[in-house]
Amino acid sequence: MGTTAELDRVFGALADPTRRAIVSRLVGGDAGVVELAAAFPISQPAVSKHLRVLEEAGLVTRRRDGRRNLCRLRPERLRPVAEWVAPYERFWAASFARLDDLVRQEQA
Amino acid sequence: MIPGDLTIQTPPDEPVIRFQRLVAAPPALVFRAWTEPELLRRWWGPAEYQLIVCEVDLRVGGGYRFVHRGPDGVEYGSRGRYLEVEPGRRLVNTFTRDPAPDRESVDAIDFLAVGGGTLVSGVSRHESIAARDAHVNAGMEGGMRGAYRKLDDLMTQEQS
Repeated sequence: MGTTAELDRVFGALADPTRRAIVSRLVGGDAGVVELAAAFPISQPAVSKHLRVLEEAGLVTRRRDGRRNLCRLRPERLRPVAEWVAPYERFWAASFARLDDLVRQEQA
Repeated sequence: MIPGDLTIQTPPDEPVIRFQRLVAAPPALVFRAWTEPELLRRWWGPAEYQLIVCEVDLRVGGGYRFVHRGPDGVEYGSRGRYLEVEPGRRLVNTFTRDPAPDRESVDAIDFLAVGGGTLVSGVSRHESIAARDAHVNAGMEGGMRGAYRKLDDLMTQEQS
């Protein structure tokens, strides 16, 4: 389970539609800052600012690749978010599985 | 949406939890399963949890009282009152857990006919994002852990 501070940082970073879009884009593979800026209707400095927030939350790393500044998603950093919701999901998944049995019996 | 697939969303910027699930039965039956004690006892909560108290006064302004007993013998109580009751279509109720009776959420569940089945679509609205987070973390399923398989699969795919 992630610490509360860690969760706050990750949730804070994801609480912005542009940053979520950047994360979604990076799920598809690494991308340069320039390419990312071209994909969104905002300036390159604005994209860089969002990337800095994602970096501080540990969701994204940046490295130089020749003249490109490449961004990479660290999907393992999304794990605390999933773990946080897991008990809730487990409760409902288990309940619905039993509901499936019930409606099958009731309709038989 | 795949039948049987449970979707849960906890938006980072809105104090709600949403879930969706397709059930292979008409809305009238799913609604009954949600609101009739003899049916509720048979499904609500994981198999290892027993619903030992299940009282339902199904009318607007009426209330309900549930107590689950976990495999460790610990009891988890909840209660609330009904705000909207539309059999076979929609149910809205307040929800509180015994340990935090003043932290109330409002749960709205729509039962939508989809093909021959029902899309159950629920939204729990909390007073704040902090309250929502506390709710999810409090869980009535203290001993439950795991179920990260989907995420593990996603990560394996992403990293291969």
